[in-house]
Amino acid sequence: MSFFRKMSRRTLVQALIAVPALSLFRKRPEADAARTGPSRGDPSPGDPDEIVEINGWILKRSDLA
Amino acid sequence: MIFDGHEAYRAANFKPKVCILGSGPAGTTIARKLGAAGIPVVVLEAGSREYSDESQDFYRGTTAGDFYFDLDITRLRYMGGSSNHWAGWCRVLDKQDFEPKAWAPDTGWPIRRADIEPYLPEVHDILELPDFRPDVPISDDIRWVQLIKSPAVRFGEKFADELDKSRNIAVVLNTYATELAGDGKRVTGAKLWSNGQDAGPFSADYFIVCTGGLENSRLLLWSNQRSNGGVIPNATALGRYWMEHPTFEGGNAILADYGEFEVDAVNEAFFSPTLAAMERLRIMNFGIRLIETPYAGVKHVIADLACTAPDMAEWVAYQLSQNLRCAAQLYVAWEQAPLASNQIKLSKTDVDHAGVPRIELHWKKSELERRTLVEGLKLFGTTLIEKDLGRVRLMDWIANGEDYPTDEETAGHHHMGGTRMGTDITRSVVDANCKVHGMDNLYVGGSSVFCTSGQANPTTTITALACRLGDHLSKVVAV
Ligand SMILES: Cc1cc2nc3c(=O)[nH]c(=O)nc-3n(C[C@H](O)[C@H](O)[C@H](O)COP(=O)(O)OP(=O)(O)OC[C@H]3O[C@@H](n4cnc5c(N)ncnc54)[C@H](O)[C@@H]3O)c2cc1C
Repeated sequence: MSFFRKMSRRTLVQALIAVPALSLFRKRPEADAARTGPSRGDPSPGDPDEIVEINGWILKRSDLA
Repeated sequence: MIFDGHEAYRAANFKPKVCILGSGPAGTTIARKLGAAGIPVVVLEAGSREYSDESQDFYRGTTAGDFYFDLDITRLRYMGGSSNHWAGWCRVLDKQDFEPKAWAPDTGWPIRRADIEPYLPEVHDILELPDFRPDVPISDDIRWVQLIKSPAVRFGEKFADELDKSRNIAVVLNTYATELAGDGKRVTGAKLWSNGQDAGPFSADYFIVCTGGLENSRLLLWSNQRSNGGVIPNATALGRYWMEHPTFEGGNAILADYGEFEVDAVNEAFFSPTLAAMERLRIMNFGIRLIETPYAGVKHVIADLACTAPDMAEWVAYQLSQNLRCAAQLYVAWEQAPLASNQIKLSKTDVDHAGVPRIELHWKKSELERRTLVEGLKLFGTTLIEKDLGRVRLMDWIANGEDYPTDEETAGHHHMGGTRMGTDITRSVVDANCKVHGMDNLYVGGSSVFCTSGQANPTTTITALACRLGDHLSKVVAV
């Protein structure tokens, strides 16, 4: 099973109930990058498997989707 | 036999061939080996059977450089030594730890792991360890390794009865060896301070210094100064190349299946680099310890992830609602590069009650170590991605290149180096048999002989080296 997989709408709702604060923090990396410049990471489309470091997170570019 | 002081011991008229200084894991193990081989041995122990503030005060000292623990907090001065409060984490140094590393000067031991492996069954008995399972490679870069949380044997308690009943071993408590005297070939005697007063001179055929990873250097530096170089004829490296295991919280991980690495009774798992990865990244060894994050903490991690990768954060939140466990704190402990400038010196101004100069510890972490921390965490993060196991977040101070925090674990209380093993007399103090270069009857036990520290806690290796030295000396002394 893939670590990150597509989920149903219902699952997402459940997730947001489990962590009520989540929606407050929800914002897109594009918004971040636009605000603080390239040092926050380059969200431009590229190889989805590329490893990127953003806000201290070590992620796959596709995680940012 | 156990005596409460030197006077009682003298009255017993015991004639030792070997004198061991210190009754911690190293000293006790060597004494038991020699005793079992029928060799009369005396163990001089500075403290008594119990902790006392008076005894502990002899351990005070100062530190310079990076923040480090007070020197009277990071060790214990009574029968059994620091085993009286060690945590019991056990693992032998890795095979790769003994090998020289082209990218890190002064690495490489004159012995290999295979030289101590024959003693591991004994070590398992002494430390009450089950068998180690072999390392599990999870990628070409990262190994899932095992550290065993042992019952943390208190050497003083465990072996007191055996030592008391032994006819070959005399333990003399409250007896502090303040100085060894030597003529550049042999140790000719020791000066003792017992129960608060000078106990006069003392002699034996062989001396083994097992006073701990800070005190071994202190005693030998002082003795050498008093003997005008007669105790350590080649003293360039004496007190130098001191090492610790810096230890900090390095970040968090979210895991697809937390159960995957659930190994020990305390629910922790450990990861280390392969030699190939260390070579490629030019870093030292490290251990990443995964500790389950409490529920409230997981929410913070998810909220943080939501700022960067919201869809993924939602998935993790779902995991949390299903399993209640999907995140871990990552603690990193790493190998320090051996540096001559990290050193134990004698204070010029401060002495203990017996007149012995106190320690001035000079200790700094290097750039290579910072790289080990950062690259190590990134390597772990990349491996989790590649193997579809999870994601890693670095602590802010690491991601932003800030200074080390001073309110954290800092280090492991693992005191290594100072009398390191080697063949080059300008870069080492003892040879492959733990015998001081140029001296016929002086040996050193404990982690002060470590050339490099690896990432593993030291006491398992200390005990293995002590078994080996005990075996070696039984043959030498019997001749
Ligand atoms: C809080 C803490 C947690 C730890 N946890 C772990 C762990 O989980 N795993 C691990 O592997 N290691 C751990 N350690 C380290 C471990 O305790 C040491 O590696 C081990 O005790 C060293 O054994 P030793 O015999 O070389 O020295 P010590 O245990 O220091 O013993 C030295 C002995 O010599 C005596 N002495 C000192 N000077 C003199 C003198 N001049 N004359 C006569 N006697 C003298 C002392 O009183 C003492 O009894 C920990 C240490 C601490 C402090």
